[in-house]
Amino acid sequence: MKTIAIEALVYGAVLIALLSSWLMLRMKDEYQMMHFMSPPASFSVVLITIAIFLQQGRKPESFKALFVVGVLILMNSIVTHATARAFRIREIKNWKPLEGEEVPLKHSDEPIIPGESGGD
Amino acid sequence: MIASIAMLFALVPCGWVALTSTVPKRVVALEMTGIICTLELMLLTMAFNRMPMMDLAVALALLSFAAGMVFAHFLAREL
Repeated sequence: MKTIAIEALVYGAVLIALLSSWLMLRMKDEYQMMHFMSPPASFSVVLITIAIFLQQGRKPESFKALFVVGVLILMNSIVTHATARAFRIREIKNWKPLEGEEVPLKHSDEPIIPGESGGD
Repeated sequence: MIASIAMLFALVPCGWVALTSTVPKRVVALEMTGIICTLELMLLTMAFNRMPMMDLAVALALLSFAAGMVFAHFLAREL
């Protein structure tokens, strides 16, 4: 039963990674492609870590796998944000909204007035 | 072991994009490759039952983060 559970978790992780990787090819631009980095970095790694815990128990190496989960989940979001911002700066030389560009705002945000933002 | 071999096929689209697409798409493919290689190392650790190899996955996860940040930094300044 434990072996079946481990195999199911591992094959689930591989399936998610394979689907994300191949579906990435179908996307039209790099912003859409970046969304497909998230499933392997969050779901697959968690499934593999659960499988490692089931296989090895509470050994130090299992906790290293848990550390990898933390690293991938936390740092993938940071890298994705930084990369998307870099793409935008590369395209329009500034990451702030263009004149006439619609920007989704929360009620708590300060209103962004296009054209008045400083170029940094 | 079969799962770790199957995971290698996830690297094919990344390699294809890295060889044929524009620079931003190549950077995305590179970041995806770092994630998949980390998962691959974790699976190989399980397959060979040599748990000290998990250090490689930890190192690769940390280094691919650093690599992603460096690429993002230089990409903004026209790579």
